[in-house]
Amino acid sequence: MMASPQCPFVEASTPLREGLFPMKIAICGKGGVGKTTVAGALVWLLYERGIPVLAIDADSNPNLAISLGIPPEEVARLPTLPSDLLERRVEPDGRDRWVLTRPLSEILATYGVPIREGLTLLLMGRVGHAGAG
Amino acid sequence: MCRAHATVRGLLYEMLAQTDGERWTVVDLEAGVEVMSRGTPKAVDALLIVVEPYYRALELGRRLAELGQELGIPRVWWIANKLRAPEEERLIRTYADAHRLTLIATLPFDEAVSHAEREGRALIQIAPDAPFLSAMAGCADRLLTGTA
Repeated sequence: MMASPQCPFVEASTPLREGLFPMKIAICGKGGVGKTTVAGALVWLLYERGIPVLAIDADSNPNLAISLGIPPEEVARLPTLPSDLLERRVEPDGRDRWVLTRPLSEILATYGVPIREGLTLLLMGRVGHAGAG
Repeated sequence: MCRAHATVRGLLYEMLAQTDGERWTVVDLEAGVEVMSRGTPKAVDALLIVVEPYYRALELGRRLAELGQELGIPRVWWIANKLRAPEEERLIRTYADAHRLTLIATLPFDEAVSHAEREGRALIQIAPDAPFLSAMAGCADRLLTGTA
């Protein structure tokens, strides 16, 4: 079981209940139910409340950028994550696992799309898709 | 399975496991159930499952909730979207209660959402007062105050 980060959160302008930490939220559902609209709205509403947000578009049909106000014709020019950010390492016990080849902060600084101060978008959808047809 | 998708999932999993306490993270996952089968979203604190008031969307939503609970995600919540009539909300509430699912938001069908999609623009930019956004604001506040 993965532990959640346990850092107190102090930057929010909205008073938070004591002990509530920044959450990692994933949004899923059947195609067409409005998943991306919900995700985009949630990201904006958190941002408007003074909460720093990282929005990650992991859908293979990436539309979150548009929900966050990026014009459709600019979406194709947004930075994409290269597949070499992930590397298979063999542990001493012989098991292998995937690890990030660069720290997350560096990935965000390099490939994150700054939408606003405190609002960053990361596009996963096209990782390794080059030549995949 | 598509290798590119496997890479996306592996990378997402490792990044989610590493996100720090400095910001909230919101991930728009692939549609459908397969994204759960590899355990990709295991490292999240909450899984929000968007459903519409028709049988196949509810069934898939129920399956997603089961898989989320099996992965050990601490909060697995439903959001009902595109509700056009009170009986649709009742249908979803009845279904959610029968399957012990927590519904944290009920969002109306909103012509402004369709309009934004047609225009390729952000809803918040073209219709900041849209009923959909007011309902989502309630959801965001519940997440922020921990009263979901």
